[in-house]
Amino acid sequence: MFAYAIRRILATIPVMAIVALFVFSLLYLAPGDPAAIIAGDQATPADVDRIRISLGLDRPFLIRFGEWAWQVLNGDLGVSIFTNLPVTHMISQRIEPTLSLMSLTLIFSISFAIPMGVLAAWKQGAWIDRVVMVVAVLGFSVPVFVVGYILAYAFALQLDWFPVQGYTPISVGILPWFQNLALPSLALGLAFIALLARITRATMLEVLSQDYVRTAKAKGVDQRAILFVHALKNAAVPIVTIIGIGFAGLIGGAVVTESVFAIPGVGRLVVDAILRRDYPVIQGVVLMFSFVYVLVNLAVDLLYTLFDPRIRY
Amino acid sequence: MALLEVENLQTHFATLDGVVRAVEGLSFKIDAGETVAIVGESGCGKSVTSMSILRLIQEPPGKIAGKINFRGRNLLDLPDVEMRKIRGKDISMIFQEPMTSLNPVLTVGRQIGETVRLHEGLTAQEAEKRGIEMLGLVGIPAPERRVKEYPHQLSGGMRQRVMIAMALACNPKLLIADEPTTALDVTIQAQILDLMRDLKTRVGAAIMLITHDLGVVAEMAERVVVMYAGRKVEEATAVQIFGNPQHPYTRGLLGAVPKLGSSLQGHGRTKLTEIQGQVPSLRQRIVGCAFASRCPIVTDVCRQVAPAVEAKTPGHYVACHYAERAVAA
Repeated sequence: MFAYAIRRILATIPVMAIVALFVFSLLYLAPGDPAAIIAGDQATPADVDRIRISLGLDRPFLIRFGEWAWQVLNGDLGVSIFTNLPVTHMISQRIEPTLSLMSLTLIFSISFAIPMGVLAAWKQGAWIDRVVMVVAVLGFSVPVFVVGYILAYAFALQLDWFPVQGYTPISVGILPWFQNLALPSLALGLAFIALLARITRATMLEVLSQDYVRTAKAKGVDQRAILFVHALKNAAVPIVTIIGIGFAGLIGGAVVTESVFAIPGVGRLVVDAILRRDYPVIQGVVLMFSFVYVLVNLAVDLLYTLFDPRIRY
Repeated sequence: MALLEVENLQTHFATLDGVVRAVEGLSFKIDAGETVAIVGESGCGKSVTSMSILRLIQEPPGKIAGKINFRGRNLLDLPDVEMRKIRGKDISMIFQEPMTSLNPVLTVGRQIGETVRLHEGLTAQEAEKRGIEMLGLVGIPAPERRVKEYPHQLSGGMRQRVMIAMALACNPKLLIADEPTTALDVTIQAQILDLMRDLKTRVGAAIMLITHDLGVVAEMAERVVVMYAGRKVEEATAVQIFGNPQHPYTRGLLGAVPKLGSSLQGHGRTKLTEIQGQVPSLRQRIVGCAFASRCPIVTDVCRQVAPAVEAKTPGHYVACHYAERAVAA
């Protein structure tokens, strides 16, 4: 187990290297001369040359990548073209709202979706199963910005239960933090809840028809323990897999959600950076999100061995 | 009073093409400490009967009617909570498929311990101790180590031993063994049967043994119930069944078993007989004797009138119009 964990962690290094290479190429794959793009429309040829040399663009690609990668490894993501601030600084200023949003969304999703799916599987064909399935289809087919505006209109504007938009840091207080994030998390999580509930239901249905569930019943185990101990642990591997894969969707969704609810997070930062063609910022944010995604899937892989003793690598 | 009295048990399943009458009017008794074998071919309702006794049939689509009196209480009238207290404690069950009947993600110790924690309120530590004890009892070497292992680390025979340990952990009054040795190879079969016999005398449980293997019946059972198409066709002591089978179906079953010392060539050669035809569909109501379509001595009466189960001699019940009535001496 420990050796496996070490090997699995080491395996993330080449993955991150490829991601880094791709992110670095972003600037140079974009059409046109990066120096000209950075210099802007009103630049003279001399300006462009100066920028090209200052960026080191006259040197070979691999050497430049090596230098950049070394900087990144030392925690330096470069300087924003637009604000002249270090990218790490800009990201760290914006990271808390985004991490808060994503964690809360994950917590919401898991704690709603899994009981929903388990319940639907247990009561297969009954009204509760149908309700869950309808919610799942709806949740999956309505885009996050529509859900966001509907939630904001209903619960913030009409009912006045939550603030319409904005963000309160967690240091100010858990409650205001939560109130600000409740609607965005729900909006962002709805599609995830739908997906997760469906997968949970399907997996549970399969598990519940297994012989060992019958054995548990014959032992006198009550329904709740059958569902949540005997069956759910067997269904955990596919569910955790979907949580890992779905996390990518959550990252994309966070960008939209932050715009809808005016949350000053990394999503907003990257949208602004794209609009301004602030390549160092885009690179930094993409690199960071990729890293988080790789970490989440590393966690998923490690969780497999925890849930299913038959999985050994 | 018998330990278990099944009276006119009917277990039906609603399917898209009609009702399947898996068990149709079955009655039998099991006394405390007795071993009763339920014998019949695949699909005759043996397993459904055992699942009905523990109420493990999904309802709907299943439906159980009749009476299942266990120590004087009709199990079919019990609320779910009461039924759960009986399962695994007073009546426990061993299944046919040791490979799939254990939960793959829980240790065997946890699975054995769960039973005693549920029914005897033991703590986790006490339950683990009992688990080790039980594993030792069913002859698993190094039980302290095995108790922490998962089912996939054990062989089929070992898993069936674990199932037996689990079933006997609460000293049940009745152990239902549904084809406990079918999935095992012959040497392991013999070991498991020996183990069951040995533990039965120690624990004092009655055994309801479901099987289609007449060798197992001869080895284990005191009384035998022969089932066909969801009905009882004959019931007698094992000695009577093997020595003096009355129902043509029972005779057919016995005729299909090779005997030691018989030869295919030369003198004294014996031929294995088969029972012609197919089991009737359980979707239609059967008029007359259920075995009529395959019976070698069938007459018109059989096709019209279902024979009642009657005592031909004391303790020997047969449902056949033509069973020999013993001369009352």
